[in-house]
Amino acid sequence: MSDSTIQHHEESRDVTFRVHRFNPQVDSKPYFDDYTIRLEKGITVLRAINYIKEHVDSSLTFRAFCQAGICGSCAMRINNMSKLACTTQVWDELDKAREPGVIKVEPLRNLPHIKDLVVEMDPLVGKMQKYSNWVDSKMPEEQWGKKEFLVSEEEFLAYDKATDCILCASCVSECTILRAHKEYVSPAVLLKSYRMNVDSRDAMHDQRLAGLVQDHGVWDCTHCYRCQETCVKNIPIMDAIHGIREDAYASRGSKDTSGARHAEAFMDDIEKKGKLVEATLPIRTNGVVWTLKNLLPMAVKMVIKRRTPPPPPLVKASKGIDALRKEFKEMTSHVGKDHEKKSGE
Amino acid sequence: MKRYAYYQSCINESMTKEVDRSIELWQHDLGIEMVKMHESACCGGSNLDYVSPKHFALVNGRNIATAEKQGLDLVVSCNTCLMTIRSAKKKLDESAELRNEVNEILRKEGLEYRGTSQVRHLLWVLIDDVGLDVIRKKVKNPLSKLRIAPFYGCHILRPSTVLGKDNPLEPTSLDQLLDALGGKTISYEHKNRCCGFHTLLVAEEESLNVAAEALKEAMDEKADCIVTPCPLCHTVLDGYQGKALKQNGLKGSIPVLHLSEVVGLALGYSDRQLGIKRHIVTV
Repeated sequence: MSDSTIQHHEESRDVTFRVHRFNPQVDSKPYFDDYTIRLEKGITVLRAINYIKEHVDSSLTFRAFCQAGICGSCAMRINNMSKLACTTQVWDELDKAREPGVIKVEPLRNLPHIKDLVVEMDPLVGKMQKYSNWVDSKMPEEQWGKKEFLVSEEEFLAYDKATDCILCASCVSECTILRAHKEYVSPAVLLKSYRMNVDSRDAMHDQRLAGLVQDHGVWDCTHCYRCQETCVKNIPIMDAIHGIREDAYASRGSKDTSGARHAEAFMDDIEKKGKLVEATLPIRTNGVVWTLKNLLPMAVKMVIKRRTPPPPPLVKASKGIDALRKEFKEMTSHVGKDHEKKSGE
Repeated sequence: MKRYAYYQSCINESMTKEVDRSIELWQHDLGIEMVKMHESACCGGSNLDYVSPKHFALVNGRNIATAEKQGLDLVVSCNTCLMTIRSAKKKLDESAELRNEVNEILRKEGLEYRGTSQVRHLLWVLIDDVGLDVIRKKVKNPLSKLRIAPFYGCHILRPSTVLGKDNPLEPTSLDQLLDALGGKTISYEHKNRCCGFHTLLVAEEESLNVAAEALKEAMDEKADCIVTPCPLCHTVLDGYQGKALKQNGLKGSIPVLHLSEVVGLALGYSDRQLGIKRHIVTV
């Protein structure tokens, strides 16, 4: 039994908080301060760092407000994962600590750092503005305030879960692609964009979607599901991201973006061969020029190592491909009927 | 000999043939047999589900129904195939309407999706069915000289509502297996992070930055090699390694091995037999 397992059953114990510190006015680089305090079981990380600020080191800087998991302002990285300090139990974190009895506390990632545990939220707000994360009412302005804009239960259910978002930015902090490129739209903004696009009162769907399919938009998500796993409100964020992609593919077709062309290639290949024809996937996604420029040097290495995917004529179709094609076609007619039914409503 | 319906991932039939080749070498040593599903179709690679959710359910319902017809669990050795087929299974299990629609079409081919076969990763079969103690006893050539950076990849961990085997934030399964093979694993942040594969053709710069960060941490931690249970992660971390490091101004290199290859090495097979010579980064 490890030290941490023994101790987490205790009703009170010493706990060390290893806190990221940085004051740009005096420090040349960030460092960690260790604060060891005696705590009782049942206490949250926020109450613990509040105690440190009040009794040990008043210079420790962090944001917090509601203390009830509603306002989202106390999001920080605790033991290498972004979460709300006010809903995180110290005793739960002791189980996860890499060093027994030590809880690491850091600021959110992927946002500019201001001081200690505080980050700048403006870039996120800027992206929400860029992607019009608000409902632009369909109702003519002269009717505002005079007529109710009713939303049916079914219409509301389309974005019910997305409205749980409290903009704590935990998903932003853990996003793989945002870490790789700061221009990326970010999961929180994709979630909000989806929520606005499926709102029956909104009139800006096409314009918003046109922005979302551009560079650094919805197609750049790498499906790592870290955002969803991190979400403090358990919102299925990837469903929203896939929802935008499904919508983009259905309403804009595959011609205007490499992401949509890439996705369509899977559909085509499955119908024709039952398997993916990888050799031509880069060309179908990005064209010949891009493929030659970006992949030729690697293709040479792959030829030498005999790892090149076979050219299309040599990709043998799956056994039973005729039956699969028939089934695929039949499902296509089902989907067609679904669309007719939907547009007739 | 316990038998499984082995789903042939597209990538293992084209670029990473060494995965299936190594499994074929050692499967009987561990008392398991992977029966290849020649009639299976591409799972859609985490793309078909938003191009057409219904075709996605049909294709993967058919894949699982084919395994069910043989009375076998469906086993994959690619993380994305695992996540994708399990996602379809979850949707089919949760919606009688979707299940009926898919079965109405499949019935004409003599197939029916019932939900009786489990969809599992090879890593899970090795741990849960073969057992770590049995594997430990079979090891002829322990990996004791190696300091290994385990790289789980996303789709064996997340979304946890679909996968559920490991804690997605603190996974241990691959570490346990590597330990049974005699290897020493390192603890590093990127072990549960992303390789960048799924945006390679759509946002290459971002993908290569993602891969470079993982490679850098493994090299900084002085790992001798990276081991991954996913051929897609392998393709980025091995095939694109030079390009990713160069783009980020980094030097050096680190070999990347498939899970199936390290099992083979520990069981006494040579790197030539296992196809390790086919890697881009020299091992």
